[in-house]
Amino acid sequence: MSRREGSLEDPQADSSVSLLPHLEAKIRQTHSLAHLLTKYAEQLLQEYVQHQGDPFGLPGFSPPRLPVAGLSAPAPSHAGLPLPERLRLDAAALAALPPLLDAVRRRQAELNPRAPRLLRHLEDAARQVRALGAALETVLAALGAAAHGPRPEPPATATAATAATATAAGVFPAKVLGLRVCGLYREWVSRTEGDLSQLVPGGPA
Amino acid sequence: MMDIYLPLKRPSWLVDNKRMRTTSDFQWLLSTFVLLYLMNHVNSQRKETPYDLKCTTNNLQKWDCSWKAPSGASRGTLYEFCIDDRSHSCYHLARTNIEIPALSPGDHEITISLQDAGSSTSKFILNEKNISLIPDTPEILNLSADFSTSTLHVKWNDKGSVFPRHSNVIWEIKILWKKSMELVKLVTHNTTLNGKDTVHHWSWVSDLPLECAIHYVGIRCYVDNLLFSGHKEWSDWSPLKNISWTPDSQPKVFPQDKVILVGSNITFCCVSQEKVLSAQIGSTYCPLIHLDGENVAIKVHNISVSENSGTNVVFMIEDNVCGTVVFAGYPPDTPKKLNCETHDLKEIICSWDPGRSTGLVGPRNTSYKLFEGFSGKYVRFKKVDVSANESYHQLLLQMVPNQEIYNFTLYARNPLGRSESTILVNITEKVYPYTPTSLKVKDINSTAVILSWHLPGSFGKINLLCQIEINKINSVQESRNVTIKGVENSSYRIAVGKLNPYTVYTFRICCSTETFWKWSKWSNKKQHLTTEAIPSNGPDTWREWSSDGKNLIIYWKPLPISEANGKILSYNVSCSSDEETQSLSEILDPQHKAEIQLNKNDYIISVVAKNSVGASPPSKIASMEIPHDDVKTEQAVGMGKGILLTWHHNPNMTCDYVIKWCNSSRSEPCLMDWRKVPSNSTEALIESDQFRPGVRYKFFLYGCRNQGYQLLRSIIGYIKELAPTVAPNFTVEDTSADSILVKWEDIPVEELRGFLRGYLFYFEKGERDTSKMRGLESGRSDIKVKNITDISQKTLRIADLQGKTSYHLVLQAYTDGGLGPEKSMFVVTKENSVGLIIAILIPVAVAVIVGVVTSILCYRKREWIKETFYPDIPNPENCKALQFQKSVCEGSGALKTLEMNPCTPNNVEVLETRSTFPKIEDTEIISPVAECPEDSSDAEPENHVVVSYCPPIIEEEIPNPGGDEAGGTSQVIYIDVQSMYQPQARPEEEQEKDPVGGAGYKPQMHLPINSTVEDIAAEGDLDKTAGYRPQANVNTWHLVSPDSPRSTDSNSEIVSFGSPCSINSRQFLIPPKDEDSPQSSGGGWSFTNFFQNKPND
Repeated sequence: MSRREGSLEDPQADSSVSLLPHLEAKIRQTHSLAHLLTKYAEQLLQEYVQHQGDPFGLPGFSPPRLPVAGLSAPAPSHAGLPLPERLRLDAAALAALPPLLDAVRRRQAELNPRAPRLLRHLEDAARQVRALGAALETVLAALGAAAHGPRPEPPATATAATAATATAAGVFPAKVLGLRVCGLYREWVSRTEGDLSQLVPGGPA
Repeated sequence: MMDIYLPLKRPSWLVDNKRMRTTSDFQWLLSTFVLLYLMNHVNSQRKETPYDLKCTTNNLQKWDCSWKAPSGASRGTLYEFCIDDRSHSCYHLARTNIEIPALSPGDHEITISLQDAGSSTSKFILNEKNISLIPDTPEILNLSADFSTSTLHVKWNDKGSVFPRHSNVIWEIKILWKKSMELVKLVTHNTTLNGKDTVHHWSWVSDLPLECAIHYVGIRCYVDNLLFSGHKEWSDWSPLKNISWTPDSQPKVFPQDKVILVGSNITFCCVSQEKVLSAQIGSTYCPLIHLDGENVAIKVHNISVSENSGTNVVFMIEDNVCGTVVFAGYPPDTPKKLNCETHDLKEIICSWDPGRSTGLVGPRNTSYKLFEGFSGKYVRFKKVDVSANESYHQLLLQMVPNQEIYNFTLYARNPLGRSESTILVNITEKVYPYTPTSLKVKDINSTAVILSWHLPGSFGKINLLCQIEINKINSVQESRNVTIKGVENSSYRIAVGKLNPYTVYTFRICCSTETFWKWSKWSNKKQHLTTEAIPSNGPDTWREWSSDGKNLIIYWKPLPISEANGKILSYNVSCSSDEETQSLSEILDPQHKAEIQLNKNDYIISVVAKNSVGASPPSKIASMEIPHDDVKTEQAVGMGKGILLTWHHNPNMTCDYVIKWCNSSRSEPCLMDWRKVPSNSTEALIESDQFRPGVRYKFFLYGCRNQGYQLLRSIIGYIKELAPTVAPNFTVEDTSADSILVKWEDIPVEELRGFLRGYLFYFEKGERDTSKMRGLESGRSDIKVKNITDISQKTLRIADLQGKTSYHLVLQAYTDGGLGPEKSMFVVTKENSVGLIIAILIPVAVAVIVGVVTSILCYRKREWIKETFYPDIPNPENCKALQFQKSVCEGSGALKTLEMNPCTPNNVEVLETRSTFPKIEDTEIISPVAECPEDSSDAEPENHVVVSYCPPIIEEEIPNPGGDEAGGTSQVIYIDVQSMYQPQARPEEEQEKDPVGGAGYKPQMHLPINSTVEDIAAEGDLDKTAGYRPQANVNTWHLVSPDSPRSTDSNSEIVSFGSPCSINSRQFLIPPKDEDSPQSSGGGWSFTNFFQNKPND
């Protein structure tokens, strides 16, 4: 990109504006966390698939990307949004993920009680994505963009309802939902990393 | 169908018709015709009266009879229905059926007549046998379904109250599915009628989930009353009832999350509004079974055990996937090895082996319940995440006060089944105590301590059995069992005695109950040092006089720990005799030696060891040394680590024996260590860490008698012998032409490292540079070895050597430990002068003898020679061309053989006298006339083997008139006297080549002796050798030695003596000795070699 994406609210759009050192450090830290979680999310997805049995993980098997209440996949138009808007969407999605990941972990604790590594990774993922969301909120607040922009939907209640529904629906839908949640976790963390990278000084223009 | 008795009986022939039917076809056709006629006749009659009376019953109490009206009867026709029984009851009715009470068994005549036409009467015989029992059509009261279990529940009423008596009923239920109503199942269900209406239930589990397709259910019955003799029939089918499921808009798969037994068959279906493309279980695709609409099903046979998260069953729909998970596993195995015990008599722990894995985890895992029968208490066990390798489960149950006997039942249950196991225990006999803790040790005295520990539990009513393990360093482990009374406060203590003072002990303890079940685990170890006590014995003592004999050196050994009973602080030494006492006190440890100046009196030396508690009993030894006889020093070799010394029993030795030893290289007094052995011993194995292999030690055996010691034996020995480290230093004392005298020195004891067993002496011919490289490999034949086992021998003469030859000498010493290093030397023997002299003298003498004999022969045969070789010839004085000076033969120094004068030559004719004797000296050979061409090289072929002599033309003195004129040329023939010795055989080429190449004298004639062919050849050669031969070459007039350079160079075996007069010329051959002669071996042959007998020596 020849110039940074974003609107007038984009603090990086005006190159003359320089970030405060502590904010810059926070952005870097948040970006590093997002980068780290991107790798963790990929590992978690692979490990999750590994424990669900065939045909999960078999080539050619791709369950439909069912909508998850309270959390949608990043829209194709996400990249075209102003950077603060994108970050707000990222933060909202990150806030919606922990209860979903917790629900997945609880279900997997019943299905795979002898897979402590998977359970630990799911627990870690919920905690880490919560930390990433908080860090992103901090960055947004520092940039003065936190209060702006609508949140897509109140995440906590919707995701909790989704988790309960998945639990009641049966094992197979719960497996599919877990797969979907892990996929969304990966997508949103990756998206957050990409969006944050545009804030990092020296990042992609 | 019941039989109706008609007024017109069937003719009997009709009955017999069958018998006749086989007679002929004609008869059969005729009978058929008659039968048809009669039937028609009967029917025509029947239709005129009521007919076809049929009676049925549905409850056995009433019969429902009906008949058909005659053809002329109208709807309102009245009938009289009479039963000819005792009461002869008749019924008037305007219909064709009637319900009558059930008639008693037997035939009953029934008369049905039309009341308005008296002639139309029909009579029937009615019997129960002709009655059909047809139950009423049953009705399904309720049809319900449990979709989770795919179970249909059917409920109906048997209406048993209408039946007067007990009857068996068979119900037939049919299950139909799909809209096409395909029969799935047809089952029978037996019940009994008990006179009351009873609602019956029947359930059926469908293979296909009920959600997958609509299911219909119908029922009918069959009353099997044994007392009823009539015909029984099934009732009609009840109206069908169905069960169906209202699908959602989303596709769904059934059954959902089902748990099934491994190996079962199961059907899955997908209820969908859209077309299902495929289905798979796990990774295996399955064929689709199409149901109503787009619904499909798959059948899975013999399902295998699922993984933890279950087996996925997935149906692929366009743009969607739906699925379910099935959990295939096993019912719980019977709990094995159920065992209940207690650690503390407060809580009971029951453990068991769950047996075969169920393959089910999480909420489907096996749950256990432990139930105690006497108290009615129970506890549950539910562990969701039991790891696969956790083989034992356990449950805790609080003990019931004052209850000792417990009856436990363990129930196991999972979705696939249940099992149980029981055990009856007396819990006081199943005590497995906790591990004792807080083990402490407290001293009582130097040999006893108190052990205390903590053992939790309410053992007040029982005794405990405890095992104390006592470990002492470098000692055997000791275990002691003690029984102690159990207490409620968990604190225990006992005394442990029989310990050693000042000893480090390690204690640990474990306990059980007196009614042994299991030992507890060992407590932690506790180390303790007991207090000191006085030393139990005095130190082991020895004494030696100093080398000057003035001082007595007293040695003692430190007390072993077991005797020291504490840390030894010092020693007291005292020497007492009748006259005086000398003491040395407070000799601090670790000094273990004291020296006291004493005279030669007999003293008793006393040594006492002291520790912080007190002094040991004194250890005494006499200073007296009993004189001994001459003691020969013996040799002994040990066994690697020690050395065994033996001796004969000596009854005089009443105290003990002492063996002392030292390194032999040490100076006196020599003492490394000593050892005392009882007086009844005859052997002792002396071992010491100080012993080193290859070191010579001295051992002295002393016997003790009357408190004095007498030397009995003196032994030198090695613990292990090794090979010497150095070679013996040797020199050559004397050298002659055939021998060498070698002398060597002893090897020092320190470097010998064993008892010397001998020397190995090697020698071989060889120069310094060559032999060094070859070494002394065994088996080489050219090496001579002498094994000198007499170790006192210090010289060796090596004889039979060759003179003037270099020898390589090597000397090695050896012990039983092996060969030492070698020392080598090169020696050259002297030349043999006597042989040289003999080698010179013998040829000279032979030459002289030959010369003398030749001279004598020539002298005695001078007339014959003269006639043969020098017949009368013209006086040369008459010829000026040839003038021989007479002084030539008279020894004139100036030699002038031929003088060519320009004169007319005479012909010289030699008379030939051919002898008939074969002897060579009598052979006369006429030499052909020799011509002397001016240029012989042109005239003769290249291979001309004889060089013709051409006299030089001395122009100053004798002008040459022209050699071409043959007629003026004198011809002189020279004849050699051939020796009897034949030259050695040589190759032809060599024989031909040598004369050409040789520059010396050549014999003019070659006279073979016994070869005719060669004679001929020789004669041929004679033609070629024509010409002048110089009779003498003064330079060759000396004895040619075979070893002279010329001789060796020319290789000619022919040695000739020539005379300038050509009269007594002789040729001598010194025959070669043989092939192996030194001459043939190359240069350097000498007369010394000529006399050499041994080729190598």
